[in-house]
Amino acid sequence: MKSIHLEFIKKSYNESAIIENLNLTVPSGAFFALLGPSGCGKTTLLRLIAGFEKVEAGRILLGDEDITNLPIHKRKVNTVFQNYALFPHLNVFENVAYSLTIRKIPQDVIKKKVTSIIKAVHLEEHIFKSIRQLSGGQKQRVALARAMVNDPEVLLLDEPLAALDLKLRERMLIELIDLQNILKTTFIYVTHDQFEALTVADYIALMNHDGKIEQIGTPKEIYEFPISTFVAKFIGSTNIFQGTLQLQNNEVRLEVPKLGSFLVMVQEKKKWMLDGVTAFMSLRPEKILLSIGVREGFANRSAGIVESIVYHGRSTQYNIRLKNNFLVQVFEQNEEHFEKEVVDYNDEVQLYWQKENVILLER
Amino acid sequence: MVKEYLGRYWLIFFVAAVYLFLYIPIAVLITFSFNSFLYPFQWVSFSTKWYWELWHSSEIWEVTQNSIIVAVSAVILSLLLGLSFVFYSARSRLRFVAPFFYANLAIPEIVLAVGLLSFFNFFSVPLGFTTLIAGHTIIGLGYSIPILQSSFAEIDYSIIESSLDLGATIHQTFFLIIIPMMAPAIIACSLLVFTLSLDDFIIAFFCTGETAQTLSLYILSTIRTGITPTINALSSCMLLLSSLLVVIFCSFGSRVRVL
Amino acid sequence: MNIFKQCKQYFFEDLPFFFSMPAIVWEVIFFCIPIICIVGISFIKNWDVSAFSGITLFHYIKLFQPIYLKIIVRSFLLAIWTSFLCLMFGYPLAYYLACKASQSIRNILLFFLILPLWTNFLTLIYAWYFVLEKHGLINDILLSLGLISAPLVMLHSLFAISIVTFYCYLPFMILPIYVILEKLDRTLVDASQDLGANMRQTFLRIIFPLSIPGVLTGFLLVFVPAFGEFAIPLFIGGDKYMFTGSLIEHYFLIARNSSMGAAVTSLSCLLVLVVTLFLRWSIKKKFSYIEGRK
Repeated sequence: MKSIHLEFIKKSYNESAIIENLNLTVPSGAFFALLGPSGCGKTTLLRLIAGFEKVEAGRILLGDEDITNLPIHKRKVNTVFQNYALFPHLNVFENVAYSLTIRKIPQDVIKKKVTSIIKAVHLEEHIFKSIRQLSGGQKQRVALARAMVNDPEVLLLDEPLAALDLKLRERMLIELIDLQNILKTTFIYVTHDQFEALTVADYIALMNHDGKIEQIGTPKEIYEFPISTFVAKFIGSTNIFQGTLQLQNNEVRLEVPKLGSFLVMVQEKKKWMLDGVTAFMSLRPEKILLSIGVREGFANRSAGIVESIVYHGRSTQYNIRLKNNFLVQVFEQNEEHFEKEVVDYNDEVQLYWQKENVILLER
Repeated sequence: MVKEYLGRYWLIFFVAAVYLFLYIPIAVLITFSFNSFLYPFQWVSFSTKWYWELWHSSEIWEVTQNSIIVAVSAVILSLLLGLSFVFYSARSRLRFVAPFFYANLAIPEIVLAVGLLSFFNFFSVPLGFTTLIAGHTIIGLGYSIPILQSSFAEIDYSIIESSLDLGATIHQTFFLIIIPMMAPAIIACSLLVFTLSLDDFIIAFFCTGETAQTLSLYILSTIRTGITPTINALSSCMLLLSSLLVVIFCSFGSRVRVL
Repeated sequence: MNIFKQCKQYFFEDLPFFFSMPAIVWEVIFFCIPIICIVGISFIKNWDVSAFSGITLFHYIKLFQPIYLKIIVRSFLLAIWTSFLCLMFGYPLAYYLACKASQSIRNILLFFLILPLWTNFLTLIYAWYFVLEKHGLINDILLSLGLISAPLVMLHSLFAISIVTFYCYLPFMILPIYVILEKLDRTLVDASQDLGANMRQTFLRIIFPLSIPGVLTGFLLVFVPAFGEFAIPLFIGGDKYMFTGSLIEHYFLIARNSSMGAAVTSLSCLLVLVVTLFLRWSIKKKFSYIEGRK
């Protein structure tokens, strides 16, 4: 297993740059997710690493080796395709054995390696079947086995679960995590589904529409400490308030017009945090306490009217219309069978949250 | 250096060479249609007199007219028979009969030609236009039924259902929805059958009597009796017509699965 | 849903038989019966004299004489040779068109490929006449370049016949191969390279095997007509060499011996069908994954 370094990568399509000046390091042995909205360039990035596209500028390093100009078949990187790309005229065994057959490895070695990897993906009964006879999930596993049998340094997965239904997808995600834990190969996993990314990844790189990486971090870091409103909004749901920064007496406050001034806890003071600048506040719905009566002990408070209630079983989502006409989302876990406070449409409710649970953002 | 160049681009050279091979005879044909000398193999000087002769030859016009009538009839018949078969056999077991129409193309055309000849002779049918059209329609069916059927099969059946659901009768659905959706296939079919009929030689050779002459037969008799560059001029004009048809085909019909 | 059921019932269950019939009737009258006629006539002793002259295998037995066998074999060899040449020259062209050419070049090249197909057959033969003739193009060029002192006689030879046949049928081989290569899933090529195969290995192991159904269609589109070809031997070959087609023409139109002609026809038809069915059956078994669409 090796690491991947991308330095100053540039790639254009039809004279407009999809990716420009991109730098990224994927640590070796990590399950790394490339997350972003459709069209942000994450698949392009994957194809650049695999060699299907050529970079216009920049370098790609596999460990210490510069593979920027290496042709596809010479790179020790394998891909699992979105549409599986299984060879229709070969059966399961022959598909998986393909990369070994190409390199003229002796038959008995091939047989051993192929059977062991097919066992690892639980496809023993189907080993000599033709591709047509397989279901979507089985084809996906053949594609995985085929890419893994080669012991690649890095495995690239291009939205491999996109074509599967929900239950199957959830199961495959767990299997992928287990597989990666055993093999310890570096996985680079491209997806637009944040749930998938949060589930499997050790690290997530979030790309925005302009092909730039907004933030890299562990799932928890990205979720709890986003560095921009784009990140905050893309992962999970959040409420973004815009206002002016007020620095008084060692306190940092965000003045939101027509609503009030809210206390924000800042871990380290950044250069942009000056008095009077425009700033944003990201407040996750589950971090807000909803109450009819008054509560003590919270640094921040606001009030509003209940506009909609959506029951989700485990939790209930409330949409509250505030004084400044802003709609706030609140998640309350349904802890009790019989609620102590019954909240109904058009009720006036109080919202409380702590200053530590808010993230102050520049943009 | 040259070797490396050759190694990388050999395929392009190869393709260019083959296309050259395909077009040299045609280029020669067209060039010599502008030859002023009677004897067609030696270039003398540029002249359009053979085109002039072509234009004024009533015989050629008559022959062309015949060919076009036959071709158009074959197209109309192939389309009518083909469409009605495809549409009405769509949901019944009859659609499995469709592959049998492939047989029309699977045997050498000469077998069909002599078969028709014997058949017509046996029933004392006078050889002429009708026999020719009958033969060409058979070949036309061999192409039109598979093409129309695959085009029809590609239509999402729920579109037909939604049309019925919105109140249209089956006939309205057929003319307002299905035919427009099959338009590329229908156009492709028509062009294909038209061209096949116009260019056909074998069936015309065997199945027309003395009464009818088509373009192919006319060219044949001229080659046999005496070559004049008028034939070159005629061929060039036919090439022009073919070009036109190919252009139309490529823009409308090429999305259709012909092969 | 009642009215739809009624409509469906009426038009999809009651009428269909009636409206599908015209095509079937036409097919039976103008195809099936003529073929049966031919096969039947071949067993009649002397059809032209009387339809009831008696049933015999005489004509078929006669066909096994060396003269006739030679002709049939010659046609078979011409057809196979032409198919082989068309494949050798046509496959690279189809490959280039489907895989390497850019969209605009592809359209232009396709146009120029289909054009000879849609040109009158005799026109093409006539054009070759021009090129190969004693005073035609090739001789003119060779003479003026000083490479030969006297004009070559190229017409009226087997060489000329095979060149012209190859020329006329080349597009028939290219198009089916082009169609199947064009539809080839490009990610399969990507996957093959990703797994370590270079372009040559990818072609031999993935691209070519998956294109075989197209090769088969092309082969049959060339082989079948080439076998029954008689116009080219007639004009380019000067009627010097007899082929199956010329034999059939001779018996039906010149010698007026329909029975014999029918026998030759039936035999050729049978031969062609056997080859076709055999090839389709053997390929079908191995390549059943390709959706059967012609």
